[in-house]
Amino acid sequence: MTLNMLVAPDFAPENFPGWYMLSTLLQGRSGLRLHLLMPSDAHEQARMLADGGVDLVYANPFDATSLIRSEGYIPFARPAGHSDEMVIATAATSPLNCVEDLQPDCSIALTDNRDVKLIGLRLLEPADLTEQDIRWELANSYQAAARMTLNGQVDAGFFLASAYHSLARITRERLKVLVESKLRDITHVLLAHPRMSEDLPKLAEALLGVNPADPGDLEVLKALGLANGFEAMEQEDAEFMIDLMDTLLD
Amino acid sequence: MHVLPDMTPPAEPHRSAKAIYQDGTSRVIHWSEREVPFPDGRLIVSRTDLDGIITHANAAFVEISGYSREELIGAPHHILRHPDMPKVAFKDLWDTLKQGRKWHGYVKNLRKDGAHYWVYATALPNVRNGEVVGYTSVRRKPSRKRIEELVPLYRKWLEEEIAGVGA
Repeated sequence: MTLNMLVAPDFAPENFPGWYMLSTLLQGRSGLRLHLLMPSDAHEQARMLADGGVDLVYANPFDATSLIRSEGYIPFARPAGHSDEMVIATAATSPLNCVEDLQPDCSIALTDNRDVKLIGLRLLEPADLTEQDIRWELANSYQAAARMTLNGQVDAGFFLASAYHSLARITRERLKVLVESKLRDITHVLLAHPRMSEDLPKLAEALLGVNPADPGDLEVLKALGLANGFEAMEQEDAEFMIDLMDTLLD
Repeated sequence: MHVLPDMTPPAEPHRSAKAIYQDGTSRVIHWSEREVPFPDGRLIVSRTDLDGIITHANAAFVEISGYSREELIGAPHHILRHPDMPKVAFKDLWDTLKQGRKWHGYVKNLRKDGAHYWVYATALPNVRNGEVVGYTSVRRKPSRKRIEELVPLYRKWLEEEIAGVGA
């Protein structure tokens, strides 16, 4: 039997091959067959999940909430030392210097990533800005959001922090960070559908055994952008994170 | 029942009083006018058990409160209670949580050194297998404008409470 593993579409483009490297490694060590599903955006991901054939998910924290509490998916691992953070940046030449400088009716570029938008909205609260106060400009990638920001098409851009720090140096030099989150407790999560609970121990052992101290394994982890590897996640760890996410919804 | 030790008086100008808490315990507190700004981009996270005893404190909580993690874990959440906060705000908090609902509010918190920090707090019940097993509180950077609007209201509520006690 082949297990379908879906990867949330919010990693930096250069990490794409890393998932295929990890899949190959896990198949070799667990004896399980994996088929990667790599949706290009949140809509395609939702469609794949709705089809009902997804056995494993590398989910962003926002989606993990409903997958665990509504669909019964089992959390079993998360990236070690790799929390989901976001950056609000403006052009280096902008007169804006902090979030509180943003005014109602300002324009912000963002990609189709609900976690980034959710956390970003919370970081705008000190400026008394709500979702309705902003003119949102949808960008199809973080690179596009960066271009819109540094060209002055928008007042600021929302970025997944890892994607922001992966931007070319010359791009980052033309941008200025207004705020970067340091939430620490919010991470992507690896989830298993309850129907594969029999195979889960083998897969979890293989995944948690990917060792950053082993040069071959480290190559795979670096390709993923997750150099510290994975750590086990208990149900209660996930419930704690979901409660935390819940407090950020409004 | 956990009785908090009296606070150490700060070196800077301050006021002092005996604080009496909901659980019947009391301690001497000291507070100055100094405000410590909420750190940008951070969340202060804590969890308590059903009795309001702190069971989890993240690094941001430890840093801004001025207490060590060891001092916070096992202490009642009212260790943060500032005398400028009206009791009615916390009554609303606990009434809302006991109904299984989420609570939001602006809170002035007392640090170990007598200074204070303002937060926008959200608290919610931790429901596991249909039962409430504790509470999570997440505090984020507040709107300064909202705080300025609320300060006179909190002062009015506090004066009403003091007048009510005296009557």
